[in-house]
Amino acid sequence: MVRKKLDKKEIATAAGCIVLAVGGLTFYVWHQAALIQIGLQTGRLEEKIAGLKEDIQKLEMTRAALLAPARVDRIAREQLMLVEPQPEQLIYEDIQTTKDHE
Amino acid sequence: MNDLNAGTSRRVQKRTILMAFFFFLWFFVLTLRLIELQVIEHPRLRAAVIRQSQSERPIIPERGTIYDRHGQILARSLPAPTVCLIPGDDDTPRDLYARAERLKTIVGLSAAELQKIRLRIENGDSYIYVKRKINWDQAERIANLNLKSVYIQRENRRFYPLGSLAAHVLGGVNIDGEGQAGVELQYNSRLEGVKGRSLILKDANRRRYGWEILKEPISGQDLILTIDATIQYIAERELERAVREHEANWGTVIVSHPASGEILAMATSPTYDPNNYPPSPLELVRNRAIQENFEPGSMFKIVTATAAREAGVVGFNEVFDCRDGFVRVAGWTISDHKKMGLLTFPEVFIHSSNVGTIRVGQRVGQEKLCRMIQDFRFGRRTGIDLPGEEAGIFHPLPGWSRTSLAAHSIGYEISVTAVQILQAMNIVANGGLLVPFRITRAGINPTGLNPKPPEAAVRVISEKTASDLTRRVFEGVVSEGTGQSARIEGFRAAGKTGTARKLDPKLHVYMSDRHLASFVGFVPADRPAISIVVVLDEPKFSYQYGGQVAAPVFREIARRVLLYLRESPRLDSNPKTMIARLQTQDTP
Repeated sequence: MVRKKLDKKEIATAAGCIVLAVGGLTFYVWHQAALIQIGLQTGRLEEKIAGLKEDIQKLEMTRAALLAPARVDRIAREQLMLVEPQPEQLIYEDIQTTKDHE
Repeated sequence: MNDLNAGTSRRVQKRTILMAFFFFLWFFVLTLRLIELQVIEHPRLRAAVIRQSQSERPIIPERGTIYDRHGQILARSLPAPTVCLIPGDDDTPRDLYARAERLKTIVGLSAAELQKIRLRIENGDSYIYVKRKINWDQAERIANLNLKSVYIQRENRRFYPLGSLAAHVLGGVNIDGEGQAGVELQYNSRLEGVKGRSLILKDANRRRYGWEILKEPISGQDLILTIDATIQYIAERELERAVREHEANWGTVIVSHPASGEILAMATSPTYDPNNYPPSPLELVRNRAIQENFEPGSMFKIVTATAAREAGVVGFNEVFDCRDGFVRVAGWTISDHKKMGLLTFPEVFIHSSNVGTIRVGQRVGQEKLCRMIQDFRFGRRTGIDLPGEEAGIFHPLPGWSRTSLAAHSIGYEISVTAVQILQAMNIVANGGLLVPFRITRAGINPTGLNPKPPEAAVRVISEKTASDLTRRVFEGVVSEGTGQSARIEGFRAAGKTGTARKLDPKLHVYMSDRHLASFVGFVPADRPAISIVVVLDEPKFSYQYGGQVAAPVFREIARRVLLYLRESPRLDSNPKTMIARLQTQDTP
């Protein structure tokens, strides 16, 4: 059996192909891993955004409940001791003055 | 040697053929079995596998938020935990029930609820609700117990942050988040969005190991109502106070903006908290403003007065003899609450004389009065965008008896709803134009704000009739007539009182001690900012007239609402209402 003698050019081509293939494969694996990593990170951030949105909604509800007219009225009367103006405390707008302004 | 080789070769050949035959047979049998499993039994086995390893569940989308006209949240859905049992293959009914019982005290399960769970366990259900929409503290306590086959899942729960405010407008939702009454029911399809689908993946022991969304849910649209939370609060507070003070069976108030037909407040007392829907008794859900038919009594004289002026059969200076204090029509005696003497056309309505109004009605005649009632849209729904609106009861002319003309003239033999009466008064307030009511201003969908345009106004009566009646009749009711309790210092108000005797349903006679007191009006009379109708059913004690019971409610609501709307009180040419003057250098 006679071994075929490979010339340097062929060896270089083969080596180049192998390096290219290994490099391509490495890049592909890295790319996939990076994508997965980014996907996981995006997922985590999306979850965080959803959580924050939920918190905002809850806070808006709390705000709405705190600003309920019945509650504001009760606090104004019972805690701040506010009373409604009596008729004699109202200053009425002069109809002539208003017309002049209009 | 060759013979030996030939014999061996034949044996090998035979054995090979035999083996090949057996292999073929084995393969053939396998193929048959495969065909049986994959083709003949395929549907059944596929269903069995899916049943065993997967279960599909709907994903309820987030229901749209409901806002008042200024963006105050009236209803919103928030995530809430639901505790459920998903039995595994190794779970016995006894184990499962024992776990449910351990949750009893945490989530507050009643005996009936536990019994229901037991039945579902015994039934072999693959998904059993233990308690839906609990609070997060309870969910955390359950999670800490780490019970097998007990899961916490997220659902959406409807919250109404202002409690019972505008309950009858909002309505409520059931445990599945479906609208059951009010706006929640009317706009359910828009609010609820589109359901999604999810797939629960289970292992051989039917334990859940995965969750996959097959179809994303689409959130519901938001709604902006015409309701103003502050005006609603004012209306509810004053109504509740009046119902309590007069021990009325129920009461209702509607506040509207006549020019746009927008409902600013709609209240019914007694009310309920939509956070705990359905209320007990269920009767509380009834929106009396649109769902209660009643005989309007004197409030209906608005129509008689309008018909007389539109037909041109009565002049403002004409005098009607009401000295007897009663009138007989086809054997039916109708009397005034006091003897009034000679009254001009405006005075008949200002003092709410039944005798005078019947005489005016007789002048108008059946046909013209009937046509005017129909023009005012009585006997037809107003078309307000709320569910369950009653149309009232109105019999067309062929069904009228000999007493019908007189009865209709003073608001009997006809049933109306509060919203219909307000619509009639709004026609007068709008200079004769009917502007349809609405309770939603806009929807908000993913593309943005989607305003709901108001419907076109329709002319019902002439502008002259409307302005003449406002100035000479309905302002007079408030300034010097039966509705003086509705007078607001600094404002010119117009309105009409109503005190209707109630019909005994058994004896079919009108009762002298049971009334429906009402008032409908608008203010300021020259440029109406608001119109209000107040109805109280069976007020007790000595005050039973609309002018005594309902007119003060109108006054208090109108006074506060006008202040809130920054409508400045103005000096009136009438010295009775001039109580203060703007300070100038000339005044001391």
